[in-house]
Amino acid sequence: MGLALIPAAFTIVQSFFTVQPLNPPTRFSGFDNFRRLFSTDAVISSIGNTGLYIVIGVVLSTVLAIFMAVTLQKNFFGRSILIAIMVLPWALPGVVEGIVWANIWNSNTGLLNSLLTSAHLIDNYQVFLGQHRLLTILAIEIVQVWQITPLSTLLIMASLQNIPNDLFEAAELDGSSPWATFRRITLPLIRPGITIAMVQALIQTLNVFDQPYILNGSATAGSSLTMQTYFISFQNLDFGEGYALSLLMAVATMVISLGVLKLVYRPVEF
Amino acid sequence: MAPTRKYMKAAGMIAGATCLCLTAAGCSSGGGPASTQTKGVTIKATMAGDPPPKAALDAFTKKTGIKVNWTTVDWDSLQTKISAAATAKTYFADVTDVDWSRVGQLGKLDWFYPMEKYLNTKKMAKDMPQMDSFTLDGHVIGIPEDASFMVTTVNKKLFAKAGIKKMPTTIGDYTKDLKQIKSKGVVKYPLNIPFAAAEGLSTYWYQTTGAFGGTILDGKGRPQFTSPDSAGYKAAQWMISALKNGLVRPGSINVADSEGQQTLMAKGTAATTFSDYSGNVGSLYNIPKSSTVTNQVEYIPTPGATGVAPNLNNPDGVGIPKKAKYPNAAAKFIKWLTSAKKEADFAGANGKDKVQPGYFVPSRLSAMKELTNSGHLDQGKKLSDMLESSTKPVFPQGAPSWYPEFSQAVYTNLHAAATGSKTASAAIKAMSEKAKQLASGS
Amino acid sequence: MRGRTPWLRRIGVLFIVLWSLVPIYWVLNISLQTDAQMSAKPAHYVPPTPSLNNYLSLLTGGGNVPYSIRQSTINIVIECSAATIVTIVLASLAAYSFARMKFRGRNVLFYTVLATMAFPPYITLIPLYRIMTFLGLVNTYTGIVLVYVSGFIPLATWILYNYMLSLPIALEESGQVDGASRMQVLWHVVLPLARPGIVSTAIITFIFGWQQFLFPLVLSSDISTEPLTVVIAALQGKHTVPYTLLSAAGVLAIVVPAVIALALNRYIVSGLLKGSVK
Repeated sequence: MGLALIPAAFTIVQSFFTVQPLNPPTRFSGFDNFRRLFSTDAVISSIGNTGLYIVIGVVLSTVLAIFMAVTLQKNFFGRSILIAIMVLPWALPGVVEGIVWANIWNSNTGLLNSLLTSAHLIDNYQVFLGQHRLLTILAIEIVQVWQITPLSTLLIMASLQNIPNDLFEAAELDGSSPWATFRRITLPLIRPGITIAMVQALIQTLNVFDQPYILNGSATAGSSLTMQTYFISFQNLDFGEGYALSLLMAVATMVISLGVLKLVYRPVEF
Repeated sequence: MAPTRKYMKAAGMIAGATCLCLTAAGCSSGGGPASTQTKGVTIKATMAGDPPPKAALDAFTKKTGIKVNWTTVDWDSLQTKISAAATAKTYFADVTDVDWSRVGQLGKLDWFYPMEKYLNTKKMAKDMPQMDSFTLDGHVIGIPEDASFMVTTVNKKLFAKAGIKKMPTTIGDYTKDLKQIKSKGVVKYPLNIPFAAAEGLSTYWYQTTGAFGGTILDGKGRPQFTSPDSAGYKAAQWMISALKNGLVRPGSINVADSEGQQTLMAKGTAATTFSDYSGNVGSLYNIPKSSTVTNQVEYIPTPGATGVAPNLNNPDGVGIPKKAKYPNAAAKFIKWLTSAKKEADFAGANGKDKVQPGYFVPSRLSAMKELTNSGHLDQGKKLSDMLESSTKPVFPQGAPSWYPEFSQAVYTNLHAAATGSKTASAAIKAMSEKAKQLASGS
Repeated sequence: MRGRTPWLRRIGVLFIVLWSLVPIYWVLNISLQTDAQMSAKPAHYVPPTPSLNNYLSLLTGGGNVPYSIRQSTINIVIECSAATIVTIVLASLAAYSFARMKFRGRNVLFYTVLATMAFPPYITLIPLYRIMTFLGLVNTYTGIVLVYVSGFIPLATWILYNYMLSLPIALEESGQVDGASRMQVLWHVVLPLARPGIVSTAIITFIFGWQQFLFPLVLSSDISTEPLTVVIAALQGKHTVPYTLLSAAGVLAIVVPAVIALALNRYIVSGLLKGSVK
């Protein structure tokens, strides 16, 4: 636990110091780091990009995860294999995932272009990444959603399995439609699972790094806040400013998480 | 509440035991001071390339008593590792990569030993034209390991198809030829420029700026590309309008340097790369496994504003981090690794079994000549002539300590101009503002 | 209801299969092609001349690669398993005490644990690296496992906490009435009931460990501790990216998690059934 707390405490303290190995010594500088952050264009545009990543990622992964978890709720032939298949995207290492998806979105030899052409939907290969900001961010975020949805699904499944079967049986006897059962029983009772899944997706999307970096380079139109912390700290060697940005991101994560908690979480007792 | 206290006690014991383990481990293996010992030691070499053949390393161990534990890490990850170690002031290797672009930053961090303390760098420099890219304030912090420089490559077959026999010698002719290849329909997008927002785009612009006859920064780090008639300004505009005019594939906004060489040049969908890597003809374009253009691509002297222009250096070197455990042994290893004999062996002058995979262009002129004379370097004569007479560092005074931040401003702005989210002049202005701000140290 | 759900389920099943497997199939497809074939336009949807060359050069080829792949696979399995075991033990204890016991500062501690999840990982790298250097744990299994454990405990605790909250408290109370200690109740009553939650948390933790790249990159300095992910990234050359070779490496890297997911799945499923029978 100390290993998690010490760096966190370190981050909070150091964000009020000038910590630049190229410009020693480390000295107290109040809110200087924060001021500099907000006068950096790249940081400002990354805030917008990250906001889009979060909204797209959290919504899409949660909806998909609920859909998959409900599909996998009851026992049927091949279900356990299907769960294993569902988990696979999550297990692919980042560097390989980047290469696979670059191959799918690629404007020269990509699978998507190839499929669309084979289906005669387009005549010429299109450029999906880098041209329109929203399309670029959507394409990048789909890759992350692909990676994080298995975890969300497992978390929601864990919640689903706690719902006593008699509730579903009673609903069935009452002649409730599957949709009504889902709305009135399933959804309210898996709120704890959805909450964890959403908070986890929030943390992942707020910290999105590999996917934009591999698929879109450091381009301003897709760069994320974590990429900025990386550049500021590891490239410019301005650790104080990097800590300050991390602190802000941590605060943002906690505030939004609490919001999700308030909005979504309801304790469930059976 | 008794159970709680009992639990807390148990937790406390676990925590205590963990701490104890940690301290014990800490005491047993702290990093000691550097040792000058060279016999019977094992040094760690962490590099971006594959190791030399085992037989060669074994022979080195037999001769010197130094064992070498070689770890390969991909280049990007290795730079992260070096930054982490340099800022945490931690040992991770005795020998590692020194990239020319980080000489200023790592030099100012005082992270590498001055090599002149261990080796006769003055004498070595005579055979290693790129030594000056690793020299900062009179100290040599890395020994060039390969001779990477930027060079123009053309696919002669595609040029000939468009009716071009005489290779261009000025950038004006070059541009005219590109338009001719496009209008004759030989290939749709003749020029390869990797417009992805990454280091390769900056490098491309440096080389193009050199071709237009200018430099990026002056001795004090001030930008030299602000005025519209400066070389840097013209170079940026030339690159961006090549994309806008359809000489460069629109999808190139997402293509990084090596990817463009592999997927466009090597597949014959692009006819030329203005700023290519030295060695690519032998290591990529002439390899049937990964190329459809074998024996079609050649190096040409860089077409410049009025005639032949320089080739900018882009080499990797090897150096000894200050936290190395055995710096003297490390120096012996570097001396061996970069000797003319070994470089020629590793690049393939003396048989396949001596080759170091992925090593193509030696940093030593003498090794390059040996390789060329024995016929083991594709178009080696051209490369060694360029290395001897026309290569030039990007920053004659050594890369500034703030280079990485500057380069990022360069490639993100050029990329933004390419995608149309910024005008070319706004992009150049942002680049020069960044340089001014960094040079003034604010 | 029985009559109507299957078609919905069929869509769900089809979606899961396509969504999860198309990109994975694409890695497999590319790993069986040559560099020239993979850049064909339109793409080859199946390998025209399937070849195991990429796999052979990873597993039996010349040079250091086969050894590195083997050793780093051993490393990653050891590191992930150890991290999973330690995380589960500590997180179960923590989750149980948060879920069932009232002690001063409980909420503060709980939220502090959760808050540590909020810090971007990149930033904790340098402080952690310094701590590990100070403790002499750089390039050791212990060091890497400790970092994983500290990173994974918050989420594991939270999942198990929620799981334990949902367990019926009556059994535990009867256990305590019978005079069993807290630890005995935890061991004999709570943990068996929480088994499905524990197994899925273990799978989650293991796979989290399997994905790690940056921390082991910095905290290991040679093949004695480098996990497979770092070795796979190292296959990229400075000037060329061997796409088909990397795809083959990706397929290899997915084997262990796939086997674990397949094997332990039955565990989750049986746990699910037991849970619903009660």
